[in-house]
Amino acid sequence: MVSKIKEVIKIKKKIGILTSNFFDPAGQRLIYGGAERYGIELTKLLLDLGYEVEWWQVGSGWIRDLMNNVKIKSIPVTESPYETMPTLNQAFLERAVDIDYAIYFVTFLAYPQVKEKSISISHGIYWDYPSFDNLIDGDNGRQEWLRRLKIALSGPDRVISVDTSTIEWVRATWPGLSHKFEYIPNFVDLAKFNPEGRKPILEQKPIRVIFPRRITTVRGINEVVRTAEIMTKEVKNLEFHIVGRGHHDQVEKELMKWASEHERIYYYWQPPEMMPEIYREMDIALIPTKAAEGTSLSCLEAMASGCVVISSYVGGLSDLVFNDYNGLLIKPTTQNLVQAIYSLLEDTDRAKRLSKNGVEVARAFSLDCWRESWKTVLQEVFN
Amino acid sequence: MRKNKLVAMMVVFNEGNRFLTRVLNHLSLWVDEIVILDDGSTDHTRKICNQYPKVFFVENDAHTFIQHEARLREKLWNITISRNPDWILAIDADEIFTDRILDAIDSYLEQKTYDAFAFRLFDFWKSENYYRVDGAWNPWIKFSAFLVRYHPEWKATWPDYVIHSGRWPLEYRFVKNTFQSDIRVKHFGWARPEDHYRKYIFYCQKDLEQYGKIQPHTKSIMASNDSIILEKWFERKWMVGF
Repeated sequence: MVSKIKEVIKIKKKIGILTSNFFDPAGQRLIYGGAERYGIELTKLLLDLGYEVEWWQVGSGWIRDLMNNVKIKSIPVTESPYETMPTLNQAFLERAVDIDYAIYFVTFLAYPQVKEKSISISHGIYWDYPSFDNLIDGDNGRQEWLRRLKIALSGPDRVISVDTSTIEWVRATWPGLSHKFEYIPNFVDLAKFNPEGRKPILEQKPIRVIFPRRITTVRGINEVVRTAEIMTKEVKNLEFHIVGRGHHDQVEKELMKWASEHERIYYYWQPPEMMPEIYREMDIALIPTKAAEGTSLSCLEAMASGCVVISSYVGGLSDLVFNDYNGLLIKPTTQNLVQAIYSLLEDTDRAKRLSKNGVEVARAFSLDCWRESWKTVLQEVFN
Repeated sequence: MRKNKLVAMMVVFNEGNRFLTRVLNHLSLWVDEIVILDDGSTDHTRKICNQYPKVFFVENDAHTFIQHEARLREKLWNITISRNPDWILAIDADEIFTDRILDAIDSYLEQKTYDAFAFRLFDFWKSENYYRVDGAWNPWIKFSAFLVRYHPEWKATWPDYVIHSGRWPLEYRFVKNTFQSDIRVKHFGWARPEDHYRKYIFYCQKDLEQYGKIQPHTKSIMASNDSIILEKWFERKWMVGF
């Protein structure tokens, strides 16, 4: 009888998505990085599939509109022992009692307990930078951190990984868990990011090199800064564009001042909707990540726009770039960046081939493909 | 060619010998209309405003800012929205955007992700070369919303403040999808040392009316030179399109 009534009323199933920060904890500023763009696209897909969606995150208890008909609610939690958030996890389970399914937007949020019928998302290995040790108290805390990570990966029905390197790490560490994983790489919206009307590669002066990333050490900003200093001195008509927010005001100030003191070096940032136009005016994109990387949206967008990508074999970047086929893969040092840029400047035909293949490869990572892959997993787990 | 209309709104009072000409010269390059509410000027402010074709000029009979700022701001807001804006720029007669705005403004107004744009405001101190960075004067640690998308369906209420009432109705403050821009805004309100003591006395009186005591930021206007930290302004390269 009840099921008949439900059928008649067509009750929408509700999905709760738990994240750490979509807005800043005060609920004032929307954080709009790659992960958040992922969250927006995922929400759009879920709404298109007829689900009701509700987000939860860290905050003082405020509730806000994230999108039309989508609320984001906050839970006052601050502690994160061993890089997990068990209090947030538990509060989510207790408070979001009306949800049918759960998506843990970051893997560690699925510790210690998950809702029955749940999915978590791995955005890439985040424990591969030297100071991560400090967060878990070095060897003293490593075992406990691993224990918690294993529980977090064990709970959900499925773990979506944006790259293969995370899956390989898990397969080597806990072979019994690897069946949980599903590889759905990140996406690029080809309707926005494409080579249509772009500047011909390396033909028009000035030649432009872009670093389209957050300004952090793990993304290789220090190596890029040095590379820009060296190369703008040595090569006339070469411009460097550093395009992205810093994590700290001081970093933005210093970079702005530094750029103002150097010819042909620019530092700025733009709303995401401007990025397609910017990429079309660039020749080379630098993605010299040193740690904590998945399948970078910036890398995909630059590639889809026809920029020649110089990237590193870190995290999921080697899922996107095949050396000397659709870009260059290097160890991210200043010397290697300089050499890689020179090698492109000296062989325009090769650069054009890499650009063309990059556009082709990016098609395999289309937003449409990503939506289809997610749809399949959602049907398997939630239906 | 952009589709959305940008209307700047500004209160002026005896700006004839200050920065108004420079401000209007610059604004005329990138906004569609400039609503100016003259709060009872007795100098040639009106004459200056009338030289600019984009200015929509309205005059108060008497100087009302000193009595109740919020009411004045509300009046300005109501005139501005009557001009059918898609976006509204709230700016003072001593504030000038750096030139990168000329390049960026069309994309800001046409994008769909953000409903407000916030900028870093630099308070020039006793000169047009140095800005103040000590304490709450530090421009690097905060962004102020100057540019907001107009939502006819939103309410617009004003706090009952005699001073520091803010430039926006309460509903337009803390817009959740605000873009923090890298474009800087110069504020020349403190650039002339001869203005400092007069403005200090004014803000002291208003603080007493509003809060019952003088606010630390007001006190810092007259801080000794030892405790004031200045930084030299640096120009950024400006790309004219690509």
